[in-house]
Amino acid sequence: MVNIGKSVIIKGELSGSEDLTIEGQVEGKIELRQNVLTIGPNGKIKAQVFAKTVVVQGEVTGNITATERVDIRDAGSVDGDLSAPRVAIADGAHFRGAIDMQKGGVAKAAGDSKAADVKPATPPAPAPASTPAVAATPGVR
Amino acid sequence: MSGLFKWGRKEDAPPAAPSPPPTATSGTVTTSKVLPRVLAALQQQTDPVLVDLGPVVGANISFFGERLSCKIHVEDLYQVIEAHAKAGSTEGLDQAIDGMLGFAPGSVDGILCWDLFDYLSKTSGQLLAGRLARLLKKGGVLYGFFGTTPAELTNYTRYVVEAEDTLRQRTTPATPVKRTVLVTRDINRMFDGLVVAESVLLKTSARETLFRKP
Repeated sequence: MVNIGKSVIIKGELSGSEDLTIEGQVEGKIELRQNVLTIGPNGKIKAQVFAKTVVVQGEVTGNITATERVDIRDAGSVDGDLSAPRVAIADGAHFRGAIDMQKGGVAKAAGDSKAADVKPATPPAPAPASTPAVAATPGVR
Repeated sequence: MSGLFKWGRKEDAPPAAPSPPPTATSGTVTTSKVLPRVLAALQQQTDPVLVDLGPVVGANISFFGERLSCKIHVEDLYQVIEAHAKAGSTEGLDQAIDGMLGFAPGSVDGILCWDLFDYLSKTSGQLLAGRLARLLKKGGVLYGFFGTTPAELTNYTRYVVEAEDTLRQRTTPATPVKRTVLVTRDINRMFDGLVVAESVLLKTSARETLFRKP
């Protein structure tokens, strides 16, 4: 499990192959296709998100695609569209957007991500020092 | 613009206080004769597009998403109404609502209005009703509750679909406003282009109504 702390700000593309918890800020794109992504209570994300499972306890602005499940907890907030076969939204959570729980919708959204890279608005910030299996790629591929 | 709206906000009305988190069994449970027809209409469509104008309810997302394969758009108009009621101004309310309904005409299979129109002035309600009627596809349905007795509304109601004919109603505090009571004739005129497929007067004196676009 990798943790991105409260003081860390990442602008660009974040990808990896192990579970990740974000307590800091990420702008751009996050890809953890085989793993669990947790947006902690302090996490603020402005990004397209692709993961196996996404748990939101903080704030997300952007579309989320999960191959298994999206879980928005009671203090979580999402402004964006969700594509996942299972979606759980707790009472008290904030959500605005569309929800597609069809397998076709998930597959389509995942496929679209390959073509739709995100341009970071500002130059990339340095990646956290200790993130062995999670790579932060600045800029657009 | 603000003169177009009717608001019953009291100057010294207390602000809406945060409510304790609801539990799965809190609120009141009612049996609905209309809801099964709403679900039946949606089931006739392939991957129906559903617009929910209330606050997001996890149980409803699961119900409509998993059981009916709906693509669900959540546009919480109550939040906009509450923000304007709290501010004591209706300036920009219609534009704010309009901005949240950016769907193409004839692109929606179902709309869940709940009791939204109780909280809107007649003029705002007419504008919204016309807009919603245009969004529906042929055969699309609109589901709503309309209060029939004047009252001061101090709560919003969250409608939780528990089963095909069962709704649980939970309340959360609201900035008080006077309910806009619409007679049946007014309702029918507001939703011009839709026909009333089913209408039931409930014990709560609300009229539960299903509209269909022919």
